[in-house]
Amino acid sequence: MIRLEMGHIFIKDIQFAAESKIEDGVLYVSEEAVKEIVLEDEKIKSVKFDIARPGESVRITPVKDVIEPRVKVEGRGGVFPGVIAKVDTVGSGKTYALKGMAVVTAGKIVGFQEGIIDMTGPGADYTPFSKLNNFVVVCEPVEGIKQHDYEKAVRLAGFRVAVYLGELARELTPDETKVYETYGVMEGKEKFPNLPRVAYVQMLQSQGLLHDTYVYGVDAKKTLSTIMNPTEVMDGAIVSGNCVSACDKNPTYVHENNPVVHDLFEQHGKTINFVCQILTNENVYLADKMRSSDWTAKMCRFLDLDAVIVSQEGFGNPDTDLIMNTKKIEAEGVKTVIITDEYAGRDGKSQSLADADPAADAVVTGGNANQVIVLPKLDKVIGTLDYVNTIAGGNEHSLREDGTIEVEIQAITGATNETGFNYLSAR
Amino acid sequence: MNDGFLIITNNTLVKEKLGENYHVEYEDLSYEDTLRKVRDRVYLGHKLLTHPLSGSVKPNETPYKSVMISMKPGELDMRSMEIIENAIHACGKFQFKSDKYKPEVYDDFRLIDCTLLESALPSAECWT
Amino acid sequence: MSKLRVVHYINQFFANIGGEEKADYPAELRVGEVVGPGMALAQKFGEEAEIVATIVCGDSYFNENLEKAKADILGWVKEQAPDVFVAGPAFNAGRYGVACGTIADAVQEELGIPAVTGMYVENPGADMFKNKVYMVSTKNSAAGMRDAVGKLAPLALKLAKGEPIGASCEEGYMPNGIRVNFFEKKRGSQRAVEMLLKKLAGKPYETEYPMPTFDRVAPNPAVKDLSKATIALCTSGGIVPKGNPDHIESSNASHYGEYDITGVMDLTEETYETAHGGYDPVYANEDADRVLPVDVLRELEKEGVIGKLHNKFYTTVGNGTAVASAKAFADEYAQKLIADGVDAVIMTST
Repeated sequence: MIRLEMGHIFIKDIQFAAESKIEDGVLYVSEEAVKEIVLEDEKIKSVKFDIARPGESVRITPVKDVIEPRVKVEGRGGVFPGVIAKVDTVGSGKTYALKGMAVVTAGKIVGFQEGIIDMTGPGADYTPFSKLNNFVVVCEPVEGIKQHDYEKAVRLAGFRVAVYLGELARELTPDETKVYETYGVMEGKEKFPNLPRVAYVQMLQSQGLLHDTYVYGVDAKKTLSTIMNPTEVMDGAIVSGNCVSACDKNPTYVHENNPVVHDLFEQHGKTINFVCQILTNENVYLADKMRSSDWTAKMCRFLDLDAVIVSQEGFGNPDTDLIMNTKKIEAEGVKTVIITDEYAGRDGKSQSLADADPAADAVVTGGNANQVIVLPKLDKVIGTLDYVNTIAGGNEHSLREDGTIEVEIQAITGATNETGFNYLSAR
Repeated sequence: MNDGFLIITNNTLVKEKLGENYHVEYEDLSYEDTLRKVRDRVYLGHKLLTHPLSGSVKPNETPYKSVMISMKPGELDMRSMEIIENAIHACGKFQFKSDKYKPEVYDDFRLIDCTLLESALPSAECWT
Repeated sequence: MSKLRVVHYINQFFANIGGEEKADYPAELRVGEVVGPGMALAQKFGEEAEIVATIVCGDSYFNENLEKAKADILGWVKEQAPDVFVAGPAFNAGRYGVACGTIADAVQEELGIPAVTGMYVENPGADMFKNKVYMVSTKNSAAGMRDAVGKLAPLALKLAKGEPIGASCEEGYMPNGIRVNFFEKKRGSQRAVEMLLKKLAGKPYETEYPMPTFDRVAPNPAVKDLSKATIALCTSGGIVPKGNPDHIESSNASHYGEYDITGVMDLTEETYETAHGGYDPVYANEDADRVLPVDVLRELEKEGVIGKLHNKFYTTVGNGTAVASAKAFADEYAQKLIADGVDAVIMTST
């Protein structure tokens, strides 16, 4: 048996202070201390911090990543293995998480950067991250730096800040504890002889610069489909290097709190035996897709699964992986439910996906990413509005004279998330 | 020079960076017309080797597209045909704004398109 | 504030005039009257809207006098200037469903007045019009009236007020090919788990995005020896003997025709024409071989390229004809073709 105890520490507010600490549910952050942590990387010239609370008239844009601070209290390894902590298998022992808050990295990496988190108004309804107290990190790079070096610098700075804040909870008593137990193949079969065997197939964005995901520090496009214990993601085994397609990319926060993992655990031991998580990628090269989907289907069969949930990340290219996976897994006699989102055009009349197959007969959708929304002018912008006109869902008139913004919801971070993290849907 | 595959592109960076070591066919076309050019090759029997909708930057947002196809034509590959037709169809869903950016942004678009294509090279080199 | 104005369309049955024997009842306008299901609708509308007129029309009358019925009704509706037009609900009554869809679509298209109707999902009118007008999904008989009115009335009010219409599952209309966003009560992952449990248990579940379906027909193996084969001609281009003896409709065809061409070497202007109302008929009427190439097949027969041309052809009008109807026609005459020993069919469209 593998057992992970998750201790939740509820953060109801964040404030700047002389000394970093957590007291009575308030996270106090020393600006100087976090500044030092960010500037460890010589590629970052300067950094600014800000705090955005739910309901405040604040817009954060362009958002790069959202991260939940966690700390490994007991057991092997540390948070973000292979990236911040050394490589070691995680997912057992005890981990604390700061709930109700996130570290948000923001700032321009490329000229068409996207990602909006509104803390109030209609935009706030569309992003799950408007409900969190957000500690925002806005980095400025040194001059002449290459985009991929800068992306990496900001990505890692976010993780370092999150780990630093997570450490503050090490000695605290959690407000709530959840226990996750999983079993080896034989062990699970003996323990739940009559429960259907279910796994979670997670497709990871893996197409190149600004489109990458890392598993224990390994670039996912260089991997074959593989198996993990579903508690491993809770210790940050998967992190995001993906900055494009704000609405349906998975920020690191979504990996740590993967909703499919969470909701399958809710049924684990009751109606299903949650066997494992299968990771596969979404490469550009078509033969890679064939190989990865073959491998995924093979593992589903090998593990004697009865059913899987398949989640996707991104637009276009991954539709083909999604359909290949679904077809092949169903062909092995394993039932599938898939989670996707749609690009049905502004009028909702276009074909939603770039691929289709009748085998995909059980689909959950995160909604039409082309839906147009008008966001009101908010009092404060963290980051910059320079890119609003050029983000995926915007056009040259996006930023209007009265300060309102007309965009497609694909510009809003997490709006149509394809792991089912959000409530939006379409019919 | 690898003779297994051919890169169809409208991205000058791909031509500059990869043109010496690989077969790169550059033409100053729109994103959609580049896909159409690929489609015409697919109908001639070339096999699609990379996904035409690579990248999360949407069609009509980025003006650049590079696609890898097999060098030699063979029999018409139905799956290649399906994928390229669906990709062309998808272009219509997005508002055209490829010409709305500040000049320096195009360097970023070229770079991203190039890295997306490059991500396929290790696999392509292995096999073809 | 004055009440919103509603005009309601029903057939002879729901107006309590009679059943099939009264289906030829001509269209009539009853100003200020609320009839049959209109009562239930009016009750649901409450203070917000009133039915200012009811139009009653026999189902056969409507379908057989389509142009006149449509023109009369459109005239009356225009006169009444309603905020919304409600037709039906038609439940599983096929011709009534088609009439409701036809007239609701016409009111919307030609008068610019929003319209809504309701019927059972398998009513042929559903496939024909669900993508054109909002169509509430009802049970298959009038026993489902309360449920139907419960969905129809609020949707009609929203349309009358020009309010945004939510997703099909929220408002109760049939999916119409337009994807509409809305917030679910449960997040996506939880919905996925619940769907998975249902699928595992073999229970019915509803996919949130039905994959586009393409009715792919795998081609039969090639005919081995054409010179011995009997070839039949069929068309959805509406070619019929002059005068259209079986009255195949110019659109939304309800049947097909079977015609003997024994000894016919050429279709001439004097002998054949098209019944199709969806394309310019001039060239087909001048020489129907352009759509149904009897002349060419006779030549091939003479040259020995084909064994012989089958002595009957099957024809219908593909113009707006429901897929379900087209399938039913072909199912039937394919059996006849097989029984007659036909080896292959050339199906022409327009």
